Amino acid sequence: MSNEVYIIGTGQTKFGEFFNLNIGDLASEAVNKAIENAGIGKDEIRTLFIGSTVSNSLSQSSIGGICTRSCSLSSNAYRIESGNASGAAAFHHAFLSIKSGLYDVVAVLGIDKLSDYIQNGTIEKILASSIDYQWEYEMGATLTGLYSFLTQAHMEEYGTTLEQLAYIPTKNHQNGVLNPKAQYRYAIPLEKFLNAKRIADPIGRFDVATPCDGAAVVILASERYIENKKPHSYKVKILSSSAGSDTLALQHREKLTELKATRLAVNDAYNKAKISANDINVAEVHDSHPIGEILAIEDLGLVPKGEGGKATVEGLTALNGKITVNPSGGLKARGDPFGATGIAQLIEIVEQIRGNAGKRQVEDVKYGLTQNVMGTGVMSYVSILGRGDN
Amino acid sequence: MEPPKIWRERRERYLGIGIICEDCQKKNFPKTRICPDCGSENVKPYKIAERGTLKYFTQIMNTGDELIFNTPYIVGLVELEDGIKVTAQIVDCDFKELRKGMKLEKTFRVLARNGKEGLIKYGFKFRPI
Ligand SMILES: [Zn+2]
Repeated sequence: MSNEVYIIGTGQTKFGEFFNLNIGDLASEAVNKAIENAGIGKDEIRTLFIGSTVSNSLSQSSIGGICTRSCSLSSNAYRIESGNASGAAAFHHAFLSIKSGLYDVVAVLGIDKLSDYIQNGTIEKILASSIDYQWEYEMGATLTGLYSFLTQAHMEEYGTTLEQLAYIPTKNHQNGVLNPKAQYRYAIPLEKFLNAKRIADPIGRFDVATPCDGAAVVILASERYIENKKPHSYKVKILSSSAGSDTLALQHREKLTELKATRLAVNDAYNKAKISANDINVAEVHDSHPIGEILAIEDLGLVPKGEGGKATVEGLTALNGKITVNPSGGLKARGDPFGATGIAQLIEIVEQIRGNAGKRQVEDVKYGLTQNVMGTGVMSYVSILGRGDN
Repeated sequence: MEPPKIWRERRERYLGIGIICEDCQKKNFPKTRICPDCGSENVKPYKIAERGTLKYFTQIMNTGDELIFNTPYIVGLVELEDGIKVTAQIVDCDFKELRKGMKLEKTFRVLARNGKEGLIKYGFKFRPI
């Protein structure tokens, strides 16, 4: 028997502003749904890996015990932090724990509660922890300010236009309409993005994903467990889970026209999954800012380098286009509870492979990919999922 | 705004002191104990260039608590004459007047304030020449 790793259950809260719910409330809803979906007992979970950027509050960064008590779990639980990519980082370690043969069943919880904090003040400071706090943020930059530099570099090198960039959130909001778990379930016309006030020129005020509240859980199981226990749920195979890195500060990078960490992670992911970019049917990528999705689809090899904007305008990445990108609505329309985002991306791909994605179902999905990014791309995590029976 | 941190960073913030590696000759800012490029411990202090050119810039409307007093302000990526790149605020000019490739020089300014009576953090910014 090989040591393949499968996702056997998923659970997610709606994403949005929930002033009456605390982190334990969100965690327990997502955990209970995932356990029910997987058809397993709570006592079978050996470890709860928690991906969270901010955790319960700025004062309770250790949330393992909060989550086990509120979820009525007796397993070990601890938090893994990798900025905005904390969810994917926790998933990566959960995958390793089963791949190594140590555990048979583990859960990964991605969670953050950001509606407690004000924008233009605390949120920017929290996001600054994912960039170089001392030599970018304290010098005056913000995450969005740095994404403005990435946008300018791409516009300059490849002639990408503001209109092409505005197609990204326009498309993602159209997809978000079809996702019951999304925070924003309405379409926004292209002109609204183009005519909005600039918050960090050329980035406009509607271009950036909104920090919000949410929790998402996936349950992972070993091949050995599945053969013995035969859980009823439709299993999805994790073909690879890979990570790559780059410098923390933009000023230390050779060039700003690519996400090196994503390129390194995806090359490793394609090699381990023994497939190529051409095989991917659907992808969930980190569109916190429009240029993020353009860089992602280029550096993941889904479109030629420099043609991300053009490909988006031509509809190649639209729902049931050549390769569907962010059918869930992405971070932009789904809302961005930082740690929960990486897990919500995986859940979307699981639903697409299971054929449970409803009105946003992509036809005949064989392989799906997720890409989650910390800061301006210092760490990047890529996972490839496939059908459980191949 | 922790006093020991402000004190510890004084040479970098006030004077722009980084490192130069005596093995691979690469210059780096901010300083590290070993060379980030080759790993050598054979590094010595190096004062970064005072002048440079503007690579990218933007106007910040929303920011963190301790910088809000300054909004809207301009932040840029500056390539110094010695090849080192730094992120810094661009002052003494209008956003509309700025152009990529403009020549800039380093200037000593207030970076952040901790309320009306708290500590003031100083450091460098850039202004058009
Ligand atoms: Zn060296």
